[in-house]
Amino acid sequence: MMKKRFLVIVITVAILLVSVGPSYSPVSLTAQSDEPIKIGAIFDLTGPTSDVGQLYAAGIVAYVDYVNANGGIEGRPIELLSQDYAYSVENAENLYIEYVNEGVVAFQGWGTGDTEALRGRIAEDEIPFMSASYSAPLGDPEEAPYNFLVGTTYSDQLVILLQFMLEEWEAEGFTAEEMKVAVFHNDSPFGTSPLADGQAWGEEVGVEVYGVPMPRGASSFDAEITTHIVEGGATHVVVQNTSGPAALLLRNLEDLGLRDFVVFGCLNWCADEILIEGAGEAAEGVLGALPFAPTSVEVPGQEVVREWLAENDDRTLEEASLHFTQGWWTMAVMVEGIRLTLANGQELTGANIRANLETLENFDTGGITAPLTYTSEDHRGNRALRVYRVEDGVWVQASDLIDLRAEDMEEMSE
Amino acid sequence: MVTQSGVYHESYRADMQLRPTSWQRYRLAFVLVVVLLLPIVAGVRELRIVNTVLIASIGAIGLNILVGYTGQISLGQGAFLAVGAYSTGLLMIYYDLPWPIACLLAGFITAAFGAVFGIPSLRLKGLYLAVATLAAQEIVSWGVRVLDFIDGKDDDQARELAMPVINFVGTRINATGMSSERSFYVVAMGILIVTVILVTNLFRTHIGRAFIAIRDQDIAAEVMGVNVFFYKLLAFATSSFFVGIAGALTAIHSTNLTFERFTIEVSIEYLAMIIIGGLGSVSGSIYGAIFIKILPEILQDIGESFSGAGLISANDLNQFMPSIEQVAFGLAIILTLVFEPEGIKKLWADTKAYFRLWPFSY
Repeated sequence: MMKKRFLVIVITVAILLVSVGPSYSPVSLTAQSDEPIKIGAIFDLTGPTSDVGQLYAAGIVAYVDYVNANGGIEGRPIELLSQDYAYSVENAENLYIEYVNEGVVAFQGWGTGDTEALRGRIAEDEIPFMSASYSAPLGDPEEAPYNFLVGTTYSDQLVILLQFMLEEWEAEGFTAEEMKVAVFHNDSPFGTSPLADGQAWGEEVGVEVYGVPMPRGASSFDAEITTHIVEGGATHVVVQNTSGPAALLLRNLEDLGLRDFVVFGCLNWCADEILIEGAGEAAEGVLGALPFAPTSVEVPGQEVVREWLAENDDRTLEEASLHFTQGWWTMAVMVEGIRLTLANGQELTGANIRANLETLENFDTGGITAPLTYTSEDHRGNRALRVYRVEDGVWVQASDLIDLRAEDMEEMSE
Repeated sequence: MVTQSGVYHESYRADMQLRPTSWQRYRLAFVLVVVLLLPIVAGVRELRIVNTVLIASIGAIGLNILVGYTGQISLGQGAFLAVGAYSTGLLMIYYDLPWPIACLLAGFITAAFGAVFGIPSLRLKGLYLAVATLAAQEIVSWGVRVLDFIDGKDDDQARELAMPVINFVGTRINATGMSSERSFYVVAMGILIVTVILVTNLFRTHIGRAFIAIRDQDIAAEVMGVNVFFYKLLAFATSSFFVGIAGALTAIHSTNLTFERFTIEVSIEYLAMIIIGGLGSVSGSIYGAIFIKILPEILQDIGESFSGAGLISANDLNQFMPSIEQVAFGLAIILTLVFEPEGIKKLWADTKAYFRLWPFSY
């Protein structure tokens, strides 16, 4: 009897507390003119993607320091609330809710896991969100109204790379029908994300494109190579995975004596310095769809990063890698949205930051990315990139800017 | 203080009491006060963490039924959580069920699923069974990545599952903010209390005793007339039911579900909880869940107060804190295994015994 009565009391009191307790009201965002601007960020410093996550995080933190050392945004310093989340979706949600409660006006995420888990929340809470996950649906404001993409989407990366491959293939005297592309991808939504758009492109031009999942934690891809390259007859391989597995695939191909028989390409998460380190000789000739310029190619946008590193860090730009500039410039775009909001004398709310980001037209990242344009219909910053190729152990530019948006517009005007 | 030299019962009713001594009843009252005060005094961050502890406690109690009480090792916890979570979401989306019914059904679906993966336990024991349950983990993890209905949308891609709006007494549970966390707290705490009462009593019945007999010596249990296979499957189903409920709670606490929430790391984290808390103990499961979920937060707070006092720069903190957390986590597990293999629950029992017997420790 005792217990039952206790239980009834507990439940009644608890329900009462919830219904009459002080209801939550978000921290007022109409801050004084010198108050710091709070931005939330989660980093993968210890999780499965920490190898690149640490570099990206350092870039974001460095940019905040850089802005604060140069007078802040319209005179107001940035306060970055950040913590390692070790790629755990649960941690990401907890930190996000904590930071929103502390009054952040914008949020920097990291991977596909947290970006997708938070997509619904950020739309409801009106928090502009950027991350290093470049799935195409995130660029569609109808599906994801508060996500903004700084990097070219995986779909566009794949199509641009395939276009470039086809061009070179035809220049060598082959036809589109003879081209067969195996897209080796991470066995997750991140990996399969560009596949459908790549296949749609293939059907249009007559190139066969098919997906090959790369099992997680595999120590060799010999079986996949035998089935899909030797027996399947792929002429081209494109990898949508991180640098580690991509380097392993390259070494497996080399060991089997097949490296010279296929044209090999990487989308952005394996097209970096880590791939070259990991694959060594086998990386020679690999094509990369890089939305962010590698450190081996000089562009004006690296200047300011180089200077900052020289003064504040013991790393060179080459050591900090392109992921550092990727983090730096992603933060720079977010800060630009905040700056415009303040400069226009508007209240600093997520909705206003979003509206101001949507006015950005050909925002120049100093050549690190193709110029960025956001509209209320399209949150993909650009649909353009340059293709690079590994020559003598460094990434060198292999194509001019290939711009799908410009191509679409030409088609429309014709 | 004069007390009896033992606990004596003068009626069957007294003998059946869960908490026979007055001290235990005082403790219960104290716990209830804490339970009631928490949602009022805690901030949104603290309450959010408390809520994850509540979910973890229910999941850990479920796992403990299987591992701690019945002695069947399972590495499929993440999978069972995923089945519970996705069932809840999909039942709500495709069949328009209200969330409490969807959660309950999700529990039964997970129970059936768990029973199926319990079948190998007829022939397999120990490490071999652990590997068989690993298959459940991999199959589910594959399923939620490739089955295209899993996101509740009519397209040919498996993406994240967007959860519908969940309301409880007029407050939305899966939104961002204090009132959401408070209403979720009420729901989860209510379910945890029911779980604790059910599971504690389960091990006062012939079913619970059969589970324990199988754990201690399955051949002896069979000789005594326990249908080992049946009770093993029942243990898998009962355990998975509660794990499924924990998964369902995870679902209604989220806006979007992704497969990355239910990886093998989650299975291992839950095993760590019940080992540190105490195998074969309901309260131990809760202690373990509290320990594993709160330790990183406490370390982070300590680090931040150091940084606030100017002892360490914020940059260094960000750099070293994750490593310190991992070291502390590993150390906690090793120290538990070395000094108190029976977990936090035993430490608590020893402390009680010390004061009860003082000054004569026999």
